[in-house]
Amino acid sequence: MTTPTMAVKVLRAPRVRRGNISFNLSLAVLAVMTLAAVFAPLIAPYDPDAVDFAAIYSGPTPAHWLGTDALGRDTLSRMIFGARTALLGPLLVVVSSTIVGILLGLLAGWRGGWIDSVLGRIFDVIFAFPALLIAIMAVALFGKGLVAPVIAMSIAYAPFVARLTRTLVASERSRPYVAAYRVQGFSGGWIALRRVLPNVTPIVGAQSTLNFGYVLAELAALSFLGLGVQAPTADWGAMINEAQAGLMGGYFLPAIVPAMAVVIVVVAVNVIGEELSDRIGGGIPA
Amino acid sequence: MTLLDISRYTLDLPDGTRLLDGVSLSVAAGETVGLVGESGSGKSLTARSVIGLQPRGATTTGSVRLDGREVLGAPVGDLLTLRRSSAGMVFQDPRAGINPVRTIGDHLTETLRLVERRSAADAEARAIELLRAVRLPRPEDHLRQYPHELSGGMLQRVMIAGALTSSPRLLICDEPTTALDVTTQAEIIAVLGEQRATRGMGMLFITHDLNLAASICGRVYVMNAGRIEEEGDARQVFRDPQAPYTRRLVAATPTIAVAQPAAAGTAADATTDVAADAAPAPHPPVDTAPHVDLSPPVDLMLDVRSLSKTYRMHGKPPVHAVVDATIEIARGGALAVVGESGSGKSTLARMIVGLEAADAGDILVDGAARTGVPRSRAERLAHSRSVQMVFQDPYLSLDPRIPAGRAIEDALRLHSTLSTRDARTRVLDLLEQVGLGERHAPARPRTLSGGQRQRVAIARALAIEPDVLVMDEATSALDVSVQAQVLDLVARIRRERGLTVLFISHDLAVVRRVCEQTVVMRNGEIVERGATAALLEQPQHPYTRLLLDSVPRPDWDLDALAAIDRTEGIPA
Amino acid sequence: MTTFRRVAGKLGALLLTLFLASVLVFFSRFLVPGDPISFLLRGRKPSPEAVAQVTAQYGLDLPPWQQYLNWLAGILHGDFGRSLQFRQDVSVVIGERLPVTLGLVIMAGTMIAVVGLIAGAIAALNRGRVLDRAVLVGLTVLGAIPSFVGSIVLIAVFAVQLGWFPSFGSGEGFWDTVYHLVLPSIALAIVFVVLIGKVTRSSMVDQLGREHVEVATSRGLTRGTIIRRHVFRNAIGPILTVSGLLVAGLLVASSIVEAAFGLAGIGSLLVQSVDRLDFPVVQAIVLLIVSAFVVVNAIIDILEPWIDPRSAAGAGAR
Repeated sequence: MTTPTMAVKVLRAPRVRRGNISFNLSLAVLAVMTLAAVFAPLIAPYDPDAVDFAAIYSGPTPAHWLGTDALGRDTLSRMIFGARTALLGPLLVVVSSTIVGILLGLLAGWRGGWIDSVLGRIFDVIFAFPALLIAIMAVALFGKGLVAPVIAMSIAYAPFVARLTRTLVASERSRPYVAAYRVQGFSGGWIALRRVLPNVTPIVGAQSTLNFGYVLAELAALSFLGLGVQAPTADWGAMINEAQAGLMGGYFLPAIVPAMAVVIVVVAVNVIGEELSDRIGGGIPA
Repeated sequence: MTLLDISRYTLDLPDGTRLLDGVSLSVAAGETVGLVGESGSGKSLTARSVIGLQPRGATTTGSVRLDGREVLGAPVGDLLTLRRSSAGMVFQDPRAGINPVRTIGDHLTETLRLVERRSAADAEARAIELLRAVRLPRPEDHLRQYPHELSGGMLQRVMIAGALTSSPRLLICDEPTTALDVTTQAEIIAVLGEQRATRGMGMLFITHDLNLAASICGRVYVMNAGRIEEEGDARQVFRDPQAPYTRRLVAATPTIAVAQPAAAGTAADATTDVAADAAPAPHPPVDTAPHVDLSPPVDLMLDVRSLSKTYRMHGKPPVHAVVDATIEIARGGALAVVGESGSGKSTLARMIVGLEAADAGDILVDGAARTGVPRSRAERLAHSRSVQMVFQDPYLSLDPRIPAGRAIEDALRLHSTLSTRDARTRVLDLLEQVGLGERHAPARPRTLSGGQRQRVAIARALAIEPDVLVMDEATSALDVSVQAQVLDLVARIRRERGLTVLFISHDLAVVRRVCEQTVVMRNGEIVERGATAALLEQPQHPYTRLLLDSVPRPDWDLDALAAIDRTEGIPA
Repeated sequence: MTTFRRVAGKLGALLLTLFLASVLVFFSRFLVPGDPISFLLRGRKPSPEAVAQVTAQYGLDLPPWQQYLNWLAGILHGDFGRSLQFRQDVSVVIGERLPVTLGLVIMAGTMIAVVGLIAGAIAALNRGRVLDRAVLVGLTVLGAIPSFVGSIVLIAVFAVQLGWFPSFGSGEGFWDTVYHLVLPSIALAIVFVVLIGKVTRSSMVDQLGREHVEVATSRGLTRGTIIRRHVFRNAIGPILTVSGLLVAGLLVASSIVEAAFGLAGIGSLLVQSVDRLDFPVVQAIVLLIVSAFVVVNAIIDILEPWIDPRSAAGAGAR
């Protein structure tokens, strides 16, 4: 574009600078949850699996702040221990899918041609299998638990990362700055790995942060369905599953507590992911 | 009778930034008034204000009266009435300005049907009439077409026809030809002039191009930083500018006229006339025929022989981007390749720097074969030491993440084994040479202005100490005053280093300032070549003549231009 | 390119994707180490006759590609094999449960579209203002409520506490079924509203900043006309694309909602079949969901030129 309307354009799209309160609050929530997960045995007031028939469906009391479930187990303690599987699963999925996705996306976007076409076709097929469906299939094949679903979901999410990376890399590749590097005599590999990759990674990373929330919800759903983490292990999804029976009797707390834990963590992760996308997206000329 | 009367109009943003400061201007019926300024001067904002398109939340004082009615603070209903009957507007980029998912017919008849409540048939008849008025070849067919099926020039005619549907009394044109080639610009200007005359409209013409304003406007206002710097008779302002800003602007504006206007003396950086200043042209003078001169003259630095490139896209006819192109530049010389978009000039440049492979032909730089895309490390380094390139858009040709100094240092260290310390020293040295300083070294491109970025790009190219520097439209994205500075810089570097330059441009006036030799390209072929001055004064090929006639200048004869038959006499 | 050639090309791509998906679904079984009989008959104590019958039925003694072709040929004739848990044809088992799932998905889909479009449009037209912020915050919170959380909260509040809606089963007859599906479809819809809401908002905001909207304004069209004819019309493309991607998510997530509300749909059947190691049913449902997704998206793809005429010319959407 040439001369005129820079000022007009900037004005036409007024940007609200979001207050960072929600962002910082979300970081705090995530930090607390992570610490709780890591130091669960030190923090939790009770053994999460300790059955106490004297205190079945206890409401909130000084002894049990968030009450107990049908077996008298302390809901707070179970929630704290549940944070372990809740956070670890998504972390593994996000990290592995991001690494694999970025590498494949870089390959497809940078090399183009038949590699791009073949990878694109493979991604299209995997896209047709939603992550939760792949996870359910993995359970059907390899049995219940979290190992198979985590691997399956890493495979399911990698194409999302790869496609985003591919699009970004392909658009970077056509930018004059890449041509400029070539004219200066830099090799294609150097440009791709040392210059283009670092330019696209922050955007992809921010997007992967958003995936964390989805994965967390989906793995919890799997446990809720009785296909993931198995009772009596403390896990948010499994806790809700077990607490379902009590709902009809009006005992909401054992179900609502882990449910709120899921919601709060997902909100926090999404707020962080969106804020990161906004900040990073704003810095790179589109 | 005064159609538009803006007086002491001031506009502030909510954050207190003053974008317009006491702007006063008027347009009478039947008059063409120019509003000239560089980017950020507030000229587009002023134009938009006339039809109530201010930014949200802005506070305004003063008055903007259109057709006798106050626009500032007018209720929505009044604004709609003004837009529907008093003023029409033609925007810069028709590609962006016409809804891409609706047909041309829909665009033209929309207001007729929805606002004037005409029947579909009636509206369509009127649309066809308007398309004919703006001289589109097949009005009936165009109605069913989508914007992406038309060229930029044709779309701009549609945009004009769209603005005319309401038979406005004032036509506001906001850089209506900036996105177009020069010959297309001339055609659009002719259409606008004709319509203004037959309808007796007033016209407010916004442009950054002083030559264009002086060519078609009766009066001009020169804007800078939200203020009117000068107003007066268009040619008077152009010939004898009074305000210091206008003087600088006029001095910086390149012109194809061989005799520079007298005002040049007051230029901020005394503009150097490279054609006279640089190494004397060792070439044989005028060689107008596009044939190949096989007897090599003395000491060729760049020798391109019979280069061809054809793009074959699946399911589309092949595009002959470059056909049998031969160019030569002597050591220390400067050659311009001039052409419009699609002429193949950029493809030629990209082949020379090794970004694209040629189908046929040879490229020799200082006697060494540099044809084709380099593969091995040694080839790459050798090629890049032979040729470096400065790209068109300084906003995109620098890596957004890499600070200016680092970008130069990377290039240096790839080609030499300097210690970190020596490299740093050399970077500062290079920054200084292009008129930047140590404080610019840690700056990311985002924080630099367009001119500064282009200087960094030049320094980066010089770091490699190439034999030939290719500049691909390297100044066309810059404001004229910045462009003048960059051109001066290039001239100085040529003098100091004896650098050989291949200058790709669409702008004949810029070329005249930089290069002693010029070739003209059209549809992939070189149609004329020769010494720049001779070529500009006595063009031989009809296409060169058309290009020259299309360049706006104060004594422009639009009628004569319209009379040139564009289809005959120019071999395709 | 002619419309015919384009559509033919898209259909070819559709068939290829379906083929590859079926290969994945079929051969996934071979990822499990060990012999196929003991995999298929896991958790059961098969008699030698049963082993012989299953071996014959699946042609397990044939080479894998032959097994695949037989399986594919069966599916093309509507034969998905036999369910191990129900001792019925898989097609019959699925056929009985499909209507509930379809009802659920249609109701949820309608809610998502209505709420998402309205919320997104309100946010876009008030961009940068308080209302925009409020809608965005609301969408973000809704987007963090997975179906199982939505289910238990809705059951707790509207079924148990207030007693307005049933919490179990799918009812009899049309209106009763709709009544029974209200809470489940809300639970299913919640998490997806954010996707439609946000894409509507960003797509409309994008268009609102375009020059063609400014041109329309300069010609004296009313704001309503401009939003309808130029902003919303142009924003449809991305919204439709995201809607297509939702299809698979909805179908899969329905398994959660069906499990929570005790609905006999294919979602809960899928979970139950995984739980009871009934692999033929799992295979069939997976293939069904995947095919539904691929077909819906192929249709959207084929419709694209009517949404954005540039895409037919391969000019690329901008």
